[in-house]
Amino acid sequence: MSKPIFKIVDELPTGGLTVMALKSLDKVVPGKWDNLVGFDNTIRTVTGETDEDLIQQIGERAVTLFNDKSQGYQRALWLYETVDNASGLLGSAALANRIGQDTFLGFLKNISPKPEKAQTIDLSVKLVTEVVAFCQINGIPGDSLGDFIAALTSYSGESFLRMAALVCFDGVIPLGADFALKGLSMIKGMNPSDLEGNQTFKGVKDLIPGNNTSEQLGFITESFEATQGWMNNLVSDNNITQQGLVNNLTSFIEVSKDKLDYLAAFLDMTVKYYYHTGVQTLARRLIERAVAEI
Amino acid sequence: MLKFSWPKLVIPLCLSLLLFLNACAEQPSRYDQVQKETTGKGATPAVSKDSEQGSSFNKFFPKSSDGFKVIPAQEKKGFAEYKVDKDGKNVAMLAISDTINNPSAAEKFKSSTTKIGGFPAVDQGANATAVLVNGRYQVKVLSRDPSFTRDDRIKWLEKFDLRGLAGLQAFLPPVDSTIAYAPSIPSLV
Repeated sequence: MSKPIFKIVDELPTGGLTVMALKSLDKVVPGKWDNLVGFDNTIRTVTGETDEDLIQQIGERAVTLFNDKSQGYQRALWLYETVDNASGLLGSAALANRIGQDTFLGFLKNISPKPEKAQTIDLSVKLVTEVVAFCQINGIPGDSLGDFIAALTSYSGESFLRMAALVCFDGVIPLGADFALKGLSMIKGMNPSDLEGNQTFKGVKDLIPGNNTSEQLGFITESFEATQGWMNNLVSDNNITQQGLVNNLTSFIEVSKDKLDYLAAFLDMTVKYYYHTGVQTLARRLIERAVAEI
Repeated sequence: MLKFSWPKLVIPLCLSLLLFLNACAEQPSRYDQVQKETTGKGATPAVSKDSEQGSSFNKFFPKSSDGFKVIPAQEKKGFAEYKVDKDGKNVAMLAISDTINNPSAAEKFKSSTTKIGGFPAVDQGANATAVLVNGRYQVKVLSRDPSFTRDDRIKWLEKFDLRGLAGLQAFLPPVDSTIAYAPSIPSLV
């Protein structure tokens, strides 16, 4: 039996590397995110209700909805969890011990930066995971494709921040501000075998639409193309640069500017932003549905 | 004389520490009961296979107007929800749900004393107002910002096509005889 949803939300951290990295984005996209943790606290914040009986009713309905596997919430959680775990190389606990020590930079030398191709696959698989998880959580709302796109692009709060983190940590830092253009042309030149050898893809491939790897590559390419404009706008609207992001991160991670590829690999290993903000999105949607259904 | 032995003391100390840590890890939660009831074999699903498709609710929702933008948010079996945004800020949520999945939701309308659009209405908590259509479909408006008041909630409930929703095939016996069915359409005389 998997862990109860109320425990998962209660155990979200209020500090640590993931939260620090996400907070560093506040300088890039200000005021978009509160680190909302705790199940009852999320119910109170989302609904604005204070009556304990009502909170109990909302919580009970949310737990019931989560526990019904047919509702897709458990699959979405699995996706967020897996896409983060699969892209990391080492346990973060071992690495966290090194932070702040003189040997940290020495330790970085032992991490191999990912080649651009692997980094591009990571980015696009995470992007597709977001689309699939969105559908697991929200269904396909509305009556038309336009409705669906409106729902997807009206991202706010932690969902928006997850996408900003994707663009910054998995796009701009390893590949540069023109990552979308670079990434798309790289994906278009890929074979299914390139995907098959990638850890992140292997982790979530069962839930990516397509009957075989070749069709899945097609779906990934289409999703990348469809969201490319949105990602480019995020970069230009907020003046996001590789240098600016690194400056923000160096407030808590010691890194030299010629080691950006190592920084990306390090973030990959230690920062579980998909899981953290994914659980927050999941909790919010569950609670929004629960309060409407009781 | 009583002899003091450290090794003898260490074992009970470790054991009690272990018990203490276990006790910490297993703190009871107010949701333990529902967790137990909704997991494992024989658990009742959250959504009945007989419930209405969420997509059949879409056409009864109000459309964007007067600077308020209505955006689709969720659609699952027995449930559809839209966000209401003003100036890019979420101010309210609109939802239709099939109470076949959560019968206690329909029960609360037994104590209803008012009607909206001809259907029994209730306030729930500080931020929600709802009506029950045909004793089965709950239509709810939830404030997400203080600027969206109870009056606004009532106004938006009236914007739903409640009569259209009442025309959906699925009927259940009303939970109480005071529950109103779809009001008859006034004759055009």
